[in-house]
Amino acid sequence: MKTKKEKIGKVAEDVGQGRGTAAAFGWPNEAESRRLKRAGKILAVSDLLWIAQAGLISWALGPLPAIFSAADASLSAESDLTLPALLAAAGIALVALLRVFLQNRAETVARQTARAIQSRARGDLLSIAATRSPSAAFPSSGAFAAHVTEQVDLLGPYYRNFEPQKLRLRLVPLGIVAASAVFSWLGALILIVCGPLIPVFMALIGLRAKAASERQQEELVRLSGSLLDRIKGLETLMLFGAIERTQRQIGDAGERFRTGTMRVLKIAFLSSTVLELFSALGIAFCAVYVGFSLLGDIQAGTWGEPLTFAQGLFILLLAPEFFAPLRAYAAAYHDRAGGLAARERLATLFPAEDNPKPLSLGAGTYEKADARQLSDPPAIEFRSVCISHQQRDVFKDFSLAIKPAETLLLEGPSGSGKTTLIDGILGFHEPDSGEILVDDAPAYALAAVLRRKVIWLGQSPRLFHGSLRANLLKAVDTPAAVTEDDLWQALRLAGAETLVQRLPRGLETPLGEDGFGLSVGEIRRVALARAAMRKDAVLLLADEPTASLDEETAADVISGLQTLCNGRTSIIATHDKGLRQIATRRIDLKSEGAVAGGRALA
Amino acid sequence: MKSVWHIIRTQHRYDRFYFWLGIFVALLPVAAGLLLLGVSGWFITAAAIAGLSGAFLNIFAPSALIRAFAIIRTAGRYGERVLTHDATFRFLTGFRNRLFASMAQRTSEGRRTGLLLNRLTLDIAVLDTVYLRLVVPLVMALVVAVSLLLVWSSISPLLLVTGAVFISAWGCLAIWTFVRSDTKNARRTDAALDAMRLRAADLAAGRRDLAIYGGLEAAAVTVLAAERRLAEAQEAEDLRTSKLTAGSTLLGQLFLAAILLVCLLEVGRGALTAALAVGLILVVMGLPEIFSMSLPGLAKLPRVALAAGRVMGLMKDRAEAGPAGDRASGPRDDTAAKAVLAFEDVSFGYPGAQRRVLEGLSFSVARGEILALAGRSGCGKSTVAAVAARLRNPGQGRVVLDGVDTGRIPEAELRRKITVIGQKAYLFNDTVAENLRIANPNASDTDLWRALEQAALAERISENPQGLQTILGEGGLGLSGGEQRRLALARAFLTRPALFVLDEMTEGLDAATAGDVLDRFLSYRGEAAVLMIAHRRQELERADRLLDLTAPHGGGNPSPETILSEFQ
Repeated sequence: MKTKKEKIGKVAEDVGQGRGTAAAFGWPNEAESRRLKRAGKILAVSDLLWIAQAGLISWALGPLPAIFSAADASLSAESDLTLPALLAAAGIALVALLRVFLQNRAETVARQTARAIQSRARGDLLSIAATRSPSAAFPSSGAFAAHVTEQVDLLGPYYRNFEPQKLRLRLVPLGIVAASAVFSWLGALILIVCGPLIPVFMALIGLRAKAASERQQEELVRLSGSLLDRIKGLETLMLFGAIERTQRQIGDAGERFRTGTMRVLKIAFLSSTVLELFSALGIAFCAVYVGFSLLGDIQAGTWGEPLTFAQGLFILLLAPEFFAPLRAYAAAYHDRAGGLAARERLATLFPAEDNPKPLSLGAGTYEKADARQLSDPPAIEFRSVCISHQQRDVFKDFSLAIKPAETLLLEGPSGSGKTTLIDGILGFHEPDSGEILVDDAPAYALAAVLRRKVIWLGQSPRLFHGSLRANLLKAVDTPAAVTEDDLWQALRLAGAETLVQRLPRGLETPLGEDGFGLSVGEIRRVALARAAMRKDAVLLLADEPTASLDEETAADVISGLQTLCNGRTSIIATHDKGLRQIATRRIDLKSEGAVAGGRALA
Repeated sequence: MKSVWHIIRTQHRYDRFYFWLGIFVALLPVAAGLLLLGVSGWFITAAAIAGLSGAFLNIFAPSALIRAFAIIRTAGRYGERVLTHDATFRFLTGFRNRLFASMAQRTSEGRRTGLLLNRLTLDIAVLDTVYLRLVVPLVMALVVAVSLLLVWSSISPLLLVTGAVFISAWGCLAIWTFVRSDTKNARRTDAALDAMRLRAADLAAGRRDLAIYGGLEAAAVTVLAAERRLAEAQEAEDLRTSKLTAGSTLLGQLFLAAILLVCLLEVGRGALTAALAVGLILVVMGLPEIFSMSLPGLAKLPRVALAAGRVMGLMKDRAEAGPAGDRASGPRDDTAAKAVLAFEDVSFGYPGAQRRVLEGLSFSVARGEILALAGRSGCGKSTVAAVAARLRNPGQGRVVLDGVDTGRIPEAELRRKITVIGQKAYLFNDTVAENLRIANPNASDTDLWRALEQAALAERISENPQGLQTILGEGGLGLSGGEQRRLALARAFLTRPALFVLDEMTEGLDAATAGDVLDRFLSYRGEAAVLMIAHRRQELERADRLLDLTAPHGGGNPSPETILSEFQ
């Protein structure tokens, strides 16, 4: 996993934009930056090919005024015009094919590159999620999911639409000006003067638009948030008979939002109107210049010879293309804003300073661990262990020996280190000093195999999105070998049999955000059933297994635990005195202080 | 596709005037733009001829026209954008309101998930595409095509044929997009995105559970699998867009080549003047811009169709649902009339479940009485509360409130008579005052402070400088679980119902807080009857009577009546 992190860091340095930390996501690497530039170049070439097409059109149409002004030449017109017309049409069609091909090519390159950057950003985020210790701080599930999905999504349009436009904007207007200048320096000068004026005026209006649109964006977020909020709380609203009132409120808010949005849009439309006005002015000036030159009223602006009709037409045909990249750039500008903001947010998801020690959970560890089979209940020993968590010593020089197949009850107030002790055995915490040994091997080295051979019930167990059956099967390595009876047996053991029978679709009931809502007590019992699926487990670790259960359910869970503890090294952390009946030994972490080591109470 | 038509018709009905005004105004800049090009081409050619032959050319009329067209084009574009956007947002605002109303009617059908709701807001946002990016540009393209065909036909047959070929080719492209726009890919994209979101959320939330059951790395791999599916589906969508764009661009360019050839041939034959020919060619140069305006809308069509289908589905269900709740009921019953609430042989089960949650349950709560409903977790206590409050309809049997079948009580009256205090207090992301006034919109600030006082929350709220205007909920003032419960209590203290239903009101509170909350409630309730779902000793001790739901279900045999036990 280290290599991956190095890669992330390297990418950031490659970009060379001052982001050397490991927390940079969604930056292109060197090859990708090159590819995006290439897409811009291809796009520019495709645009500049218009010069050839405009040339062909002007060449074919050029002789027209001469033919028509010479009154007697109309007879020869057909033969004079047919051949150039055919050639020009064929030429334009060929160049058109090439242009469309190039455009398509540029788009494909940009699109695929953007997608690669997005995929890599997601991979990087997920690799941190997969390697960071479960006991370390982690963003909320909502925030993490939103970053993996929406925020990374915003990067796509930025890289795909905006990046290639940068190069296009730099190359195409220059090419157009150069081509115009070949025949008329004044024509080129008109473009040069009009072009840079546009960004200036747009910026002036854009500044106002930006502030207004940011406010409006917030308003939109608030509006859709509040609509969602009301729909989520519909039941409450209904119970208080407040539906109609809320409906009026939502209507009013929508109306306010509409007027606000229109205010912002008017500014935004004004700014594109300015863009259009200036490009229209630019083209009009060119037209006026060309028109009066052709009438003979103006003789300036060329390199000596007066402007011919073909040359004038050529300059006029080129003028709109001078402004086209500017318009495309302006249109893609909001993709840029979205993409940059998303990249900022991605960078702050994992604060660099709390990067945890990398966890030994690679494919290699799995293989090595597999060599050591744990088939008997292990002995566990804490030898002078020191663990600190968030700048607080949880264990200081803590020693404890647990015999194979013993059932140990951990007591003590919250904060005395019960959870940390269990986490330590599972390798979620590595001791700062001292050793946690499982059958004389360091626990973290055995972590991979231990985690598959443990019956574990957490303090606030979580079930995953999927059917209840799929949740139970997560506990076993070979789901195919599990029979229907095995599942029901585990459920019975956890006192969850009738609970499941009453669910809409029994074992197939979908759980999680998209599924059926179970109460806390119900979740705990299903989680116990999931743990009970591991028949070959050698170790049992339970953290407050009876918290927030009513007495009868707690009794069911305790009797289930009793069965499960049998023949396994078991450690149960609890406040519940009801569990004492199944323990062979109790220690109070508080009274002895994790500091001096646990003392047997019974 | 049908749902897209439906949206168009709905928007048309919503405000016909704006609908057509937007389209009409949109036509102005388009027409002006094309005429601008045509007149300019004609003008410089005429100028060149005049320059060479020395003939007189009236330069004032054409240059005035050019100025006018340039102004109409620029100003018209602005006006068109403002008008069409305003029309669309008006429609969407109304649409959002109707959607909320229809969702409200369907609350009893079960809770909506956050996932579905998130998608719903996205769906509504997508619907602005229908008018802005499909209707307006397509109507404009149609009008322009028809007008040009008329112009060409008046000039020369060859021109007409060439123009007709290319315009119909472009029409075929648009129709092909319509016909081929199955929503399969858009659906795949949505599914992959949802899967990715859910799996990523799981990976972040249940990290210990995952590390042990299934493995973190394996979970990360499943997220990546969803991301791959997403990329494939998006690539397919993008390819479609890409083909559409390339096809349209190529048609525009080939049309230009063809029109150049045709115009020159016609000029050669003497059927066209040179100036008119150049004008016609420049007009064709302006066509791709007009026809390509509908491309983004056409490309997004599958996505729009999918969103429209989902949203219209919700609306339609509402119409079909009709005036529900008016079930037939027996005559007014005198024995039941004495009770505030009576369950008569009520059964309830989830469709498809092996067992029913409630089986032939009968009991009643007398006026002023506190009845505690006990039983182990999962035995259906909360279902009783939901049925009593008409959040769920009983499968069999009937529920009688003050002598009347609850199915026949008007919604507003029912809500006045019953106040439910649940185990999960929903706090809206709004001010304290607004959160409280849900219960009683006419409550004065004094009333609110009194209710907060009674719920022992006044001090906590007044600590905050904003007082009643403090924002609660996500991102707002963080209230602890106990404080949230107290706020729900304060909400209830603004109502005067005949019956309170307490659904595990003290769940998750420590003993001292629970006792305090209970006592405050009981001193407020006055003469109102209470149906209390409970498992705490503290709660049971305060009840007049206890009903154990677990007992009759022991052997799994349906029991016609439940055992009532006196509790001392």
